[in-house]
Amino acid sequence: MDGPGRLRGTGGGTTSSGNDRGDPEHGVPDAGTEPDARYTLANERTFLAWNRTALALVIAGLGIVQLLPPFPGVPWGRRVIGIPLIALGAVMSVTAYREMRRNQMALRRSEPLPRSVLPQILAATILSVAVLSGAVLLASAVR
Amino acid sequence: MQPDDPEDIDPGLARERTRLSWVRTAIAFAAVGSVLLRRQPVIGLIVLAAAPLIWALGHFAGRETTRPDLLPRRLLLVTVAVTVAALLAMIAALAGHPPASLGQLLPLHG
Repeated sequence: MDGPGRLRGTGGGTTSSGNDRGDPEHGVPDAGTEPDARYTLANERTFLAWNRTALALVIAGLGIVQLLPPFPGVPWGRRVIGIPLIALGAVMSVTAYREMRRNQMALRRSEPLPRSVLPQILAATILSVAVLSGAVLLASAVR
Repeated sequence: MQPDDPEDIDPGLARERTRLSWVRTAIAFAAVGSVLLRRQPVIGLIVLAAAPLIWALGHFAGRETTRPDLLPRRLLLVTVAVTVAALLAMIAALAGHPPASLGQLLPLHG
């Protein structure tokens, strides 16, 4: 484990030494101060948690397409349900990255964190897939 | 005078939680690769290979305070890896007749 000097973060809020004004040479926006290391780490963990959710959606989509027995009379049923889940995984990962950048910028400027759209996207997609699954089941039962 | 929160002295536990989070993410990559391995061995191996890379990236967690520009770059790699894995999974899901084994894709036996 690294020594205490590795990370800054000697209290809440932002710190005021070191890379206070960013580093334009390395592509860091010249705005705000470097936040407490714990806030940056929490932002990183949130980003990783959304990416694990994205990977879980990819696994769920693959499982539906490859492992589920086919719906009688609806040969495209498994793909219709599984592929949107896989696509959502890619969308979720990209959106999580954009939100991580926005959150980090808000932390640097000591502003309130912007609202995340990811929970709404996730809820809407799960609801859509549930409705779609019901429709496929119904189509399979009718045929 | 002692601070109320021990992490005010050293946020080591926060860093440790973050590293564990990286390990869980690497395990999630391994899970996706394993599922793909069943029907698409080559694609599965590619995704499986990302797992140790993600695990290695986690070792840099909390070290960017002297180079804050490295944090988004490291996390961008994760985004690229997840997006590529999702695209490969999409290809695997759309493939009509996947090969039964790795030997059908690669001339392993001459």
